[in-house]
Amino acid sequence: MTFSVLVQSIISGLLVGGVYALIGVGLTIIFGVMRVINFAHGDIMMVGMYMTYFLFTLFGVDPFMSVLITMPLMFVFGAIMQKVFINRILGTLPQNQILLTIGLGLIMSNAAMLAFTSDYKILTTSYSSSSFNVAGISISQPLLTSFLITCVITAGLYWFLMKTDTGQAIRATAQDREAAQLMGINVKWMSILSFGIGSAMAGTAGALISPTYYIFPQVGSAFTLKAFVITVLGGMGSIVGATLGGIIIGLVESVAAVTISSDWKDVVVFSIFLLVLLIKPSGLMGKSRM
Amino acid sequence: MIRKIAATALVMGLVLPGVSQAAKVKIGFINTITGAEAPIGENLTNGVTMAIEDLKKKGIEVDLTKEDDTGKPEKSLAAFEKLATRDNVAGVVGPYTSACSSAVASQADKYKVPLLIPVAAKEDITRKGYKYVFRLNAPADVYSSVLMDTVLALDKPKTIAYIYESTDFGTSTVNTAKEYAKRLGIQEVAEEKYQKGAPDFRSTLSKIKSKNPDLVFMVSYVVDAITLMRQSKEIGLAPKAFLGGGAGFTTAQFLAQKEISNLVMSSTQWTDDVNWPGAADFAKRYTAKYKKEPSYHAACAYAAMMIMAETASKSEGDRDKTRNALKAGQWNGIMGEVKFADYAGFTNQNNHQMLVQQVQDGKYETVFPAKFATKKPIYPFKWK
Repeated sequence: MTFSVLVQSIISGLLVGGVYALIGVGLTIIFGVMRVINFAHGDIMMVGMYMTYFLFTLFGVDPFMSVLITMPLMFVFGAIMQKVFINRILGTLPQNQILLTIGLGLIMSNAAMLAFTSDYKILTTSYSSSSFNVAGISISQPLLTSFLITCVITAGLYWFLMKTDTGQAIRATAQDREAAQLMGINVKWMSILSFGIGSAMAGTAGALISPTYYIFPQVGSAFTLKAFVITVLGGMGSIVGATLGGIIIGLVESVAAVTISSDWKDVVVFSIFLLVLLIKPSGLMGKSRM
Repeated sequence: MIRKIAATALVMGLVLPGVSQAAKVKIGFINTITGAEAPIGENLTNGVTMAIEDLKKKGIEVDLTKEDDTGKPEKSLAAFEKLATRDNVAGVVGPYTSACSSAVASQADKYKVPLLIPVAAKEDITRKGYKYVFRLNAPADVYSSVLMDTVLALDKPKTIAYIYESTDFGTSTVNTAKEYAKRLGIQEVAEEKYQKGAPDFRSTLSKIKSKNPDLVFMVSYVVDAITLMRQSKEIGLAPKAFLGGGAGFTTAQFLAQKEISNLVMSSTQWTDDVNWPGAADFAKRYTAKYKKEPSYHAACAYAAMMIMAETASKSEGDRDKTRNALKAGQWNGIMGEVKFADYAGFTNQNNHQMLVQQVQDGKYETVFPAKFATKKPIYPFKWK
């Protein structure tokens, strides 16, 4: 194996990891604020993918530009989901929450199947398979664009949570729900806000991956699993952790595929995952909690 | 007069259902209707639906019981047991995937229910000497050998790389491809297995590119074929030929991706321009009915259902008689000549002639074997 093949795999791993990170960040925000494990995360992403697909085929909106439309719409979608369903089970047993989110996910994927059939939808843009060459290394144009958009969104989100009052209120709710409420923070509103943000992230990830991947009603399940690995690896509730987790998973998958074999890359990913949990059970950036 | 007509109509109305009920034959159909492989499964369902309509025109009423296995062997097995014991079917057509078919085939002899497999390719299925298992399509080894024969007629390739999904279909097709390549003296330079549905093949493909193979042989279901070809173009992988082993490389969706599908060769069980009796007519009626072109899965499922229902109907729904009639019979229809023979370690296997098609100017053209070809193959491969 030559050096350039390794560099090539590191670069594509980094770029793919960027999109993984976005999926993970959405899940981790929802968990951090509400302690609800969102099993419908991949399906929310699927909704975002279909939205992108129809915006492109019906209205000719470029998939990357459509993020500007998909993001607010998915925010509203998530906020409504939180207000109507999730809010009702916040104080209940964890298994009830799991059942509810799994159920919502099933409803979403099966509704999509009913409405759009199980046919694979393929979004073909002029740049779906284009790339440019830098010193013998080919860089995928759509992947690079989505990576840059991911960076902007993640940085923006980080700034929002760290610097604004609302962001601080969300963080306070995540740290201690009751104490935050005593300090006059409207925690229900914060929950709606964070579920909305989480869904918007998932939907955006769906939009960004659409030009290079394909869309079908069950596409979510594979990404739900990936999102879990990413967030647990990074530490549940930590945004920096999820970003790091996403990039690590993308990188490991890619490098393992060339150095060992593509057949074994999942084994490598999960071995690293278990190793991290063994040494640091709360994840890379997670704080251990009671 | 009017009364007379009315009376005749009434009598006919009373008598006719009785007649058709007498000829009604119970057939089971196991398919992947939901789940990840559902898009291809849909082709099978459509093919079978058309077969039922055509059988009706021939005076054979089929009482069809459809079962969905969602692509999982254990569900397929449960469906087969239900059809055999509760629904009392005369025979079963299906299931779709290799994994499901191998599971179900192992039980056919136990229940003594004739099973006709329309498209599953794994060789083992008809290599275990099962008496009640029949297969219409060519097994996995032909998927690769017919492709290599096509290239050999044009050139002497020296090296080959494999990239395939880690399913029964992918593994068995590539295992036989390797044997065949070894016999031809083509050297293997890379072998990469992948998890179905993976979004990123770039690193794997660049590894293959660094080996600079003459041929790249790929096996994948449905849309991974598109992801693979898109990223091959991105990476700049350009062998003398891209060879696709059936499935994902033979769909209308793949064809629609003009930028990346051009000049890719794929093996297939059937094409709509082949001169087998009724093939062109089937394609025309199918396209009119479903607003899309039939894949080989649809044709195989159609032919399988026609054969099974006709045979079972003649045998009056008796399972053993149906089995013997399938073994002894011979058919000629949209899949060409069909005969279930024992050869080269296979039992009840139809020695089906596979075809090679190549995408030329946004159309699938049959390019091999010469006697069925509509166009000459274009070689070597070049990106558009």
